[in-house]
Amino acid sequence: MPLVNNKVGNDCTVGTDKTLADGKDLVESVIKVVACYRHLAACVGGCTDSLQLRDELRQMREKALNLAEAIRLHLTSHLRDKSLPEDQRKEMELLWVAFSSSLELLHVDMCKVFSMGDNFSLANTASLVQTGLQGGGSEVAARALSLADLNQEPPTLPAGLESQERSTMEQEISQIDHMIDDMEKKVNVLRWMVEPRGPQYADPLSSTESASLALLSIDEEQPGHKPLCQRNLIFVLLLLFAVVLVAATLSVCLVLFS
Amino acid sequence: MTIRNVLRDHGQRYRPRMACLKKAEKVVLEMQDPTTGVKLQPQRLVITTIPHAITGEDIVQICLFYSEARSFGSMLVALGYIYPIQDHKRLVVKPDASLYRFQTPYFWPTQQWPVEDTDYAIYLAKRNIRKKGILELHEQEQYNHLHKWMNHKWDFIVMQAKEQYRAAKERKKPDRVVFDCQERAYWVVHRPPVRTHTCMFLSLQKTFMIFIQQSIMRPRVKSSVSIGALVKYCATYKGHDPFLSKCLPSNPWLTDDVTYWALNMPNVEIPTKMRVERWTFSFGELLSDPRGRDDFRLFLKKEFSGENLAFWEGCEDLKWGTAATMKEKAEQIYKTFLARGAPRWINIDGKTMEITVKGLKHPHRYVLDAAQTHIYMLMKKDSYGRYLKSPVFKETTKKAVCPEEHKFSDSQLEQNARNRRPSLSPIIIRQQEQEQKAKMAASAPVDITQVMSKLSQQGKEAPPRRTSVKND
Repeated sequence: MPLVNNKVGNDCTVGTDKTLADGKDLVESVIKVVACYRHLAACVGGCTDSLQLRDELRQMREKALNLAEAIRLHLTSHLRDKSLPEDQRKEMELLWVAFSSSLELLHVDMCKVFSMGDNFSLANTASLVQTGLQGGGSEVAARALSLADLNQEPPTLPAGLESQERSTMEQEISQIDHMIDDMEKKVNVLRWMVEPRGPQYADPLSSTESASLALLSIDEEQPGHKPLCQRNLIFVLLLLFAVVLVAATLSVCLVLFS
Repeated sequence: MTIRNVLRDHGQRYRPRMACLKKAEKVVLEMQDPTTGVKLQPQRLVITTIPHAITGEDIVQICLFYSEARSFGSMLVALGYIYPIQDHKRLVVKPDASLYRFQTPYFWPTQQWPVEDTDYAIYLAKRNIRKKGILELHEQEQYNHLHKWMNHKWDFIVMQAKEQYRAAKERKKPDRVVFDCQERAYWVVHRPPVRTHTCMFLSLQKTFMIFIQQSIMRPRVKSSVSIGALVKYCATYKGHDPFLSKCLPSNPWLTDDVTYWALNMPNVEIPTKMRVERWTFSFGELLSDPRGRDDFRLFLKKEFSGENLAFWEGCEDLKWGTAATMKEKAEQIYKTFLARGAPRWINIDGKTMEITVKGLKHPHRYVLDAAQTHIYMLMKKDSYGRYLKSPVFKETTKKAVCPEEHKFSDSQLEQNARNRRPSLSPIIIRQQEQEQKAKMAASAPVDITQVMSKLSQQGKEAPPRRTSVKND
C-alpha cells in the first residue's frame, strides 16, 4: 500500500490512527467505485447497453455520492483542525488529492454517460454500436456494489420515467460540481507540496493472469514479432531433430558392434 | 454544468472540428443497421472468438455511397470511430480482408471534453501492471514526463490503475480483450507516436510549428524606437498634409479652383516652396517627385556624375516595364553602364558587379536590383548631401513660389463651381511626358569620355564616338 500507516504506539495517536485508517478505507472504496463506473460507462451506447446496465450505473453513482459525502466531511473536518500534527496532515493531504482526483474522474464519466444517454436511447436498439462486447457489466458492478445493493429487483422502467432518471442525474452531476467547489474553498491544499509515497511504476499483479492475457492477445501483436518466433521455433525443431538423429545412429552402431 | 479542467493542455493537441465529427457519427450509426449496414463477422483468436469485426473491403464498400470511399474510410479510422485490429498503429483502411471494429461511443472523439493527461497516465500505468516493460519508447517518455507534471497525484494514478485492472479481470476474457483493444485504439488516436499516419493532425501541427519558428526569427524593433520614428514622421509631414493643414492657395475640392494643381504639375518650371521643402526630407522624396528629379539631374550633370541617376532610372524602367522588352533593355543597360569600358560606366564594387553579370546571363525583372540599390545608396550618401548645399538647389529654392491663400466669397465660389472643367486627358499628359523624354535623350548624355573626345577633336565634325577606352 502506498499510503503508509502511522503505527507509532502512542496513546493520543491511536485515535488519529483510526481516523486515518477510516479515511484510507473510504478513499479506496471510492476509487474502486470510480474504476468500475468507468468500465461500465464504456459499455453505454454499445450493443450490451440495456436497462440493467443503466440501473447498475445508477446504483454505482448513488454509492459513490454517499461515499464522497462521507469522505468530504471526514477530510474537511480533519484538515481544518489546526492542531493536527504534521505527518498526519501530510497523510490527510494525500488522501485529499486522491479524493479530489477521483471526484473529477467521476464527474467527467457522469457527464459522458449523461450525454450518451441523450444520443443512444434504449428504445431504438438498431442504432446501438456493434462493439464486439458480449457480456454485460454485471460482474464489474458486483465488485463495486455490495450484495445488498445487487439483490434489488432490476426495475422495468417505462419510457416516461427515463426523463425522471435524467433529471436526477443532472442533479447528481451538479451535486458533485458543488462538492468540488466547496472543497476547494474550505480547505487549501497546496498540490505542489504533496509528495507521493508510492513508486513510479506500479508492480505487476499475479503473473499467471498476465501470461494468459498475453497469450490471448498474441494475434493482435505486430506482425513483425511473428517471423522472429517462427525462426526460433524452427531452430529448436532442427536441434531436436539433430539430437534424435545422433541418438539413432549411436544406437544403430551399438547394435552393429555389440 | 461545467467540467473542471484542473490541468491545462500541455501540448498543442489538435481537437477535430465539431461539424466533421457530427457527420462521421451519423455515418457510423447508419453502419450499425442490421439490414443496410456493414457486414459483421467474428474474429477468431487462439482461445475464443469475438464478434462484430468488419473487413476493410466492407468498409470501403459501404463508404462508396460517399465520394472518395477509401479516404472517407481512412478518415473514420483516423478520427477514431473505427479501429484496426491487426496493425493497430496505422490508422488507415486497407481494402482487403484486414479486420476492423467499431469503437464504443465512450471513446468517440468529442469537442466537449478534452483528452485528459490523467487518463493517459492511468492507461500507461495499467499497461505496465499487465506486463512490465511493455511500454514503447515514446510512451515511456510520456510516462516520465507525466510523472514529473502530475507528481502530486501519482499515488492516486497508481491506485486507480490497479483498481481498473482488477475490475477488468472480473469480466469474461473476450470482453476484456475487446475493452483493451478499444482503449488502446483510443490512445493511438489521441496520443499518437511521432510519425504515425494521423493524417489530419500532423499537417496542422507542422504548419503551426513552422509559423511559430518564423515568428521567433522575425527581426524585432523596440516599440520605443518604432514609435519614435512614427512621431518624427508625423511631425515632419504635418504641415504638408492637406487634411491637417491649409492647402495653398486653396483646396480645389473645396473651392473648385485648380490653381493648386496647376502649380504642382509634375513638370512645372517653378515649383512651390512646400514642394521644395519636401525634397529636403529624404532622398526618396526627391527622386519620386519628377521636378525634384529634374533638378537633381541638372545638378549631377554639372558634377559629371549623371550616369548614376541614368542607371537608376534605367533599372526602374526595367523593373516596371513590359516583359516583352525586358531582355533588350537589360542588354542595353549592360552595354551602356556595366560593361568594361562602357560609355557611361558606373562605379560599383566587385562583388555586386559579379552577381549582376552572372544574373544577366538569365535576365529577369529584378536582375539589376543589387546594383541599383548600391547606386541608390551612393547617391543618397554622397550626391544628395552635396545637392542640398549646391547652387542649383539654392537657386531653385529662391525661385520657388509661395502662393497667397485664396479668399473666395460665396458668389465667387458659385462661379467657380459653374466654371468647372475636366482636366487634361491622361493620354495627352502621357504624350507630353514622352515628348519630354525624347527631348532629354536627344540632348546628348554627358560623360567624361565624350567631353574629352570632344575637346580633343575640337573643330572636327565627327559625331561623338563611343569608342571603348580601356580603363585599367
